[in-house]
Amino acid sequence: MNVDFILYITINTLVVLAIAPLFVSMIKKVKAWTQGRSGPSVFQTYASLRKLLTKEVIYSPTSSRIMRITPLITIASILVAALFVPLIFVPEPVGGIGNIILFLYLLALARFFMALAGLDAGSSFGGMGSSREMSISAIIEPTTIIVFAALAFVFKTLNIFDMVSRTAPGLPAAPTLILISISLFIILIVETSRIPIDNPETHLELTMIHEGMILEQSGRNLALMELAAAVKLTVLMGLLINLIVPLGLATSLTLIGILIAVILFVIKGSILAGIIAIFESSMAKKRFFQLPSLFAMAFFFSTLIIIIEVFS
Amino acid sequence: MIIELFLLAIITLLAGTIVPLLAVSVNRRYIRTISLCCPIFASLFLGALSLVVLFSGETSGFTLYQPITEFSFSFVIDRLASFFLLVIAIVSACVALYFSEYVEHMDGSSRRNILCGFTSLFILAMVLVVSSANSFCFFLFWELMAASSFFLVTFEYTHNETRKAGLFYFFMTQLSSLFVLLGIIMLYLESGSFAIAPIHGASTLPITAAFLVLFIGFSIKAGIIPFHKWLPYAHPESPSPISALMSGVMLKIAIYGLIRFLLDVFTPDLWWGALILAAGITSAVLGVIYALKEHDIKGMLAYSSIENIGIIFTGIGLWVIFSASNLPLLATISLLGALFHSLNHALFKSLLFLTSGSVVHATHTRDIEHMGGLAHRMPYTSALFFIGAVSISALPPLNGFASEFLIFTAFFTSVAFVSPLFKVLLFICLALFALASTLSAACFVKAFGSIFLALPRSPQSEVAKEVPRAMLIGPGILAAACILLGVFSFQIFGIVGFNVPLPDMLLISLLLLGMGVLVYMVLYVTASREVRVSETWGCGSRSQQASSEYTGHGFSEPIDIIFSAIYRTRTKNERVFFDLKNCIFREGTGEIHLLKVFEEYLYNPISQLFMQVATKVSRFQNGCLDTYLLYVFVTVIALIIFLGWFA
Repeated sequence: MNVDFILYITINTLVVLAIAPLFVSMIKKVKAWTQGRSGPSVFQTYASLRKLLTKEVIYSPTSSRIMRITPLITIASILVAALFVPLIFVPEPVGGIGNIILFLYLLALARFFMALAGLDAGSSFGGMGSSREMSISAIIEPTTIIVFAALAFVFKTLNIFDMVSRTAPGLPAAPTLILISISLFIILIVETSRIPIDNPETHLELTMIHEGMILEQSGRNLALMELAAAVKLTVLMGLLINLIVPLGLATSLTLIGILIAVILFVIKGSILAGIIAIFESSMAKKRFFQLPSLFAMAFFFSTLIIIIEVFS
Repeated sequence: MIIELFLLAIITLLAGTIVPLLAVSVNRRYIRTISLCCPIFASLFLGALSLVVLFSGETSGFTLYQPITEFSFSFVIDRLASFFLLVIAIVSACVALYFSEYVEHMDGSSRRNILCGFTSLFILAMVLVVSSANSFCFFLFWELMAASSFFLVTFEYTHNETRKAGLFYFFMTQLSSLFVLLGIIMLYLESGSFAIAPIHGASTLPITAAFLVLFIGFSIKAGIIPFHKWLPYAHPESPSPISALMSGVMLKIAIYGLIRFLLDVFTPDLWWGALILAAGITSAVLGVIYALKEHDIKGMLAYSSIENIGIIFTGIGLWVIFSASNLPLLATISLLGALFHSLNHALFKSLLFLTSGSVVHATHTRDIEHMGGLAHRMPYTSALFFIGAVSISALPPLNGFASEFLIFTAFFTSVAFVSPLFKVLLFICLALFALASTLSAACFVKAFGSIFLALPRSPQSEVAKEVPRAMLIGPGILAAACILLGVFSFQIFGIVGFNVPLPDMLLISLLLLGMGVLVYMVLYVTASREVRVSETWGCGSRSQQASSEYTGHGFSEPIDIIFSAIYRTRTKNERVFFDLKNCIFREGTGEIHLLKVFEEYLYNPISQLFMQVATKVSRFQNGCLDTYLLYVFVTVIALIIFLGWFA
């Protein structure tokens, strides 16, 4: 653990916390445009989070300690997972930080606690959300792991830091990367509960998954859960962006370099946010039990990459 | 010193066996406490000696008694044996601590003394199996282990279910012994000695056959699908501490046997590894899928044991594949993953069995649908169960993650090296392995949620009380071990002398803690601190009701539907009508049964076949003395002719 790395931890966390709400709003904004509305301001999410922080927390009398610790554990594990994906500059990896398997399991840790909190209050909405979330996460996992194994196989490393810095000098040469980016995009959509898997905008019992789980949260706890979801979105977007277009990633710690990297990342992120929004707008939400076939498609797609890689 | 400690442990365990059996009619607590203290002391000795051997790497052996020249009761303690002795020691000590209180709450007056005695005997047998120096000795103690555990399983023999489970268990375990014995005899024919020593000239037909037979024998004992049926029968019916011992330790003895023979006797082929890997992955996936469907808390844990044994077999399979394809580094990682997962599974599974024993003790039911709300009523037990659930779901930074991580790493790095065909196989296995891993997280969210969270769903769990403190210490130690082995996994491997590509979990834990504290501090300064406990939104109902909660069945319903091809059901409808043309419905019944695929398509046909053969054979046994004399006479004549002809 050297000074560089501590600086990296500070900068990466601050940047991701600062940018995350922006990307959420941007997706909403573009979606509003496609529907012919002007939509809320791109800074709306910041305002909502600030509003939530000033509100009181209400716990259901049936809820236990799980409900009370979940927001903290969720945000902590998502923020640690965020350290695994360098957004603006790449230090030397320390002590296994950046390991792709650990990254996946930190996300799983957050999900485990969220699902339990959904069951904690005993309302049927929360249980419904938890049950669906755990089922979906279970059936998407084979695809996720195959895509990540393909990444490890293509880059010959298990560390995201090495993957990002290996592609850093130039644009991706291998067409495999484009194939992998499509798979990563599907994973991004599933992991962040977006259409066609889940609808992040409604609280209808027919559609909701992630929103159902956090229905019982309120006040600052809800703010933490919303922030955690935004950070997760940003981190997965960052992973996709920096693997495919690592252009602009700072390699040394200079103020100018970091500033340029941040600006470039915001631009690249906004473009991806636009793509996500258009993708979402062009689809309807799928029926829950049609999802396995969607995932099967994603799975065969990623297996195809591997077969191409293996036999080429 | 090691031999003295070992002998001391054996003598202590023998004392623990004999004392309660001598005082079998004395229904006093102190007898049972003395008896159960013996395993605790023996565990201390064993733990000390195994730590010494693990760190020093010295092998020490001795012969206790040599009846004939070809065979002796001799024991060897090397690093592998000492590792498994450590597993036995930790789990037995914690189980015995818990058991000493638990047994006082059981029925059966002075019969409980026998239970305590046999527990010591069972532990003794396992210790001796692990330290056996030759295969015949191994088999004898293996049989002792099987027999003593049978008496433990059938303690509540007055219940019909228990008797059935006990017989099923006895049959399966004897089948396992039979295969192991057959394998040992085949090896003896090949090598001419009972020593567990390398056989040269690998993969001839007899050696492969010996491996296959031993593999089946160990698989039955370990509960690999399709030989797994005894676990979900025997575990729920035996007392919880016994389930903890059997699932935590006894299954690991089978793992030990497999590793020992693969390591010291055989030079494995590539396809042996593929076989073990396939068996492991099948068990891991099917085990957890069945666990999700199970609503008997201990049945669920039994299926989850099948899953974890599958994970360990996966590690062993990878080890064999890599060592056969000359990748020593990856082979070491996989073997270490399998061994570490054996230890971890022993810890968290016995923790889960003990805490679920407490839950069953408090609620008098094993059905998780009748529990709920226990987090308020049993805060310590729920916290301990929670730690076990997080560990078994392989979440960082606890120990279950560390061992699965090693196996994942082996999978991830291997694909660059092996042949294309094996690449495809490994990728498929990797995907299934990941599926099993997340399904087990889903399974334990469901279990913890239905048992401990929300509102109680039955009057018994409404009035459930926290168990006495003595029943919290044992699980508490196990939970602490789960946390320590996870957080310090990187350091522990460093100390033991293996350089594994494990992330520094201590750093990760500190980061998690740091982030949590930081966020809390920031919120404490900036956000509103008001907290109110009140009804949250409940769809218009005025207060929350247990009947409107999501149940365990409800929770696993999506997975049921997605995997409906595996959960085969049989629907039976009977309808009675008023009229002849079946138009006006009078009454009827409808039943949906979960098809027990393995039982109906594998076990029952085989048992029917055996029954048919047995019926035919039994005709020779007509109960008439004259007939038997005739048999003896014919045999003697045949023998004389045979000897005269050939000798």
